[in-house]
Amino acid sequence: MQISTRQIDDFKNDRKDITPPLPVVLRLVPILFYCSIAVAILLSSLFALQFQLAIQKRDAHKAQITSIGAKTQSARNDRAALETEIKKATDIQAWVAGSRPLQPLLVNIARSMGARSSIVDLRLDRDADNPAQIKIALRMATDSTKQLDDTVEKMATLKYRAFSPTQSLGRGELDYKATLVQQDPLTLEQPTPETPQ
Amino acid sequence: MKSIDLKSILNFSAFRPEPDDPSAAWRRRFPAERTVFFGLARMGLSWREIGRGSKIGDREFVRAEPKEILTQSGDHIKPLSEHGWCAISMNTRYVISLETNLSRRTGSEDMLKTNARSVLGGRFERGKHYALTHNPETNSSILLTIDEDQARKTESLFTEGGFRIGRICCGAYALLKHALSVTNTEKGADNPVSSFYIVCCEGAVCALVQEQDRWQELRSRTDVYEDDLTPITDLLAPFHSRLAPEMGITLISDEPLEGLPERLATAFPGRTINDLSQPAMLANLMIQN
Repeated sequence: MQISTRQIDDFKNDRKDITPPLPVVLRLVPILFYCSIAVAILLSSLFALQFQLAIQKRDAHKAQITSIGAKTQSARNDRAALETEIKKATDIQAWVAGSRPLQPLLVNIARSMGARSSIVDLRLDRDADNPAQIKIALRMATDSTKQLDDTVEKMATLKYRAFSPTQSLGRGELDYKATLVQQDPLTLEQPTPETPQ
Repeated sequence: MKSIDLKSILNFSAFRPEPDDPSAAWRRRFPAERTVFFGLARMGLSWREIGRGSKIGDREFVRAEPKEILTQSGDHIKPLSEHGWCAISMNTRYVISLETNLSRRTGSEDMLKTNARSVLGGRFERGKHYALTHNPETNSSILLTIDEDQARKTESLFTEGGFRIGRICCGAYALLKHALSVTNTEKGADNPVSSFYIVCCEGAVCALVQEQDRWQELRSRTDVYEDDLTPITDLLAPFHSRLAPEMGITLISDEPLEGLPERLATAFPGRTINDLSQPAMLANLMIQN
């Protein structure tokens, strides 16, 4: 025969509200709960880490932006300085280019000076509003007005006509002021200044 | 759902049986908690700690009125249990008897708690707790009877002592069932077993004669012996003439009783003695079941 051992008989007065243990499969509930907490902590840690890294990256980018901004500003300043220089150079170039048509006139005036005459002061002004007119102020050291005639004649060979001329002679110097207007400058051929003998 | 229910789910206690759930084994109820196992005799109380992982501590015994012992030594015993849970082996004021023709309906052993009258019929008495072991080959059954009042008094005694009762069992009956289950292992009547079962537990003695699988005679007495084992052999001596010549003896006791096998060999000459006793035998059984 076979007698199996069952549980030991219990003779205490049992409580009425004893509940049986929950099924083992339901252990998944707290296990999943703890797993979810662990995953949440892990993810939060990762997110916090990523957040810190993002802040560091942002700060690095800000610093880079500041640095690049400073460099850009420096480049702008350099460019502004260069542009100023360019403008000056352009102005000089324009001045040089603008004064080129006057060079034959200056050369003719200089060559018109006789042996006993010399130029003390020569000023040529061209009005921006009316660039075709050239105001000439010439001070010569000479003892006669013939030199002035020679000079005016030389200027006339370049087809400059003098308007409103004024002249004054005193103490060996002759002041001459006039407004020169070139007649038909487009048709004017630029004569090659003669080499003085 | 209350917060305590949520807490019990989150700390997994809801998946373990409640500490006083009689349907669960002790080690499942207290897998990681220290408890105390008491052995209650008429004039004495023994106890031992059942530690975490079902580690059994040393036995202590005091011979005096249990109430006095709990009053005087309660502070010494209580720390052995973390939350006051204890199991009690009642070794006095019970009756183990051999009955015949009891109901064998399916679940009759479980029905003893709810409707004992339907199982025991005319043998039922009001105000008693019962436990039953049927002989599968014959119509005989071993019936354990304990007074409800006695169980209630025992509960009160330990509750007033600051303990919480997880189980009240009868040590001798549990040992007898264990001895029967160990020796009767083959189904059917092809290999019938004959043995003279002797159970000793905290002063209580139970003797059962099984011949060719038939339970023939059962005798149970409580508070038979203390230190001297002579009353045991005196109680069992009359059986000698009634036992079949080839019948062996199966001895089981809650603790190995020094000198008892030799005394039995003298009292029952020529019979083989199968001593199943082990240290903390009853405590081990109580934990495992």
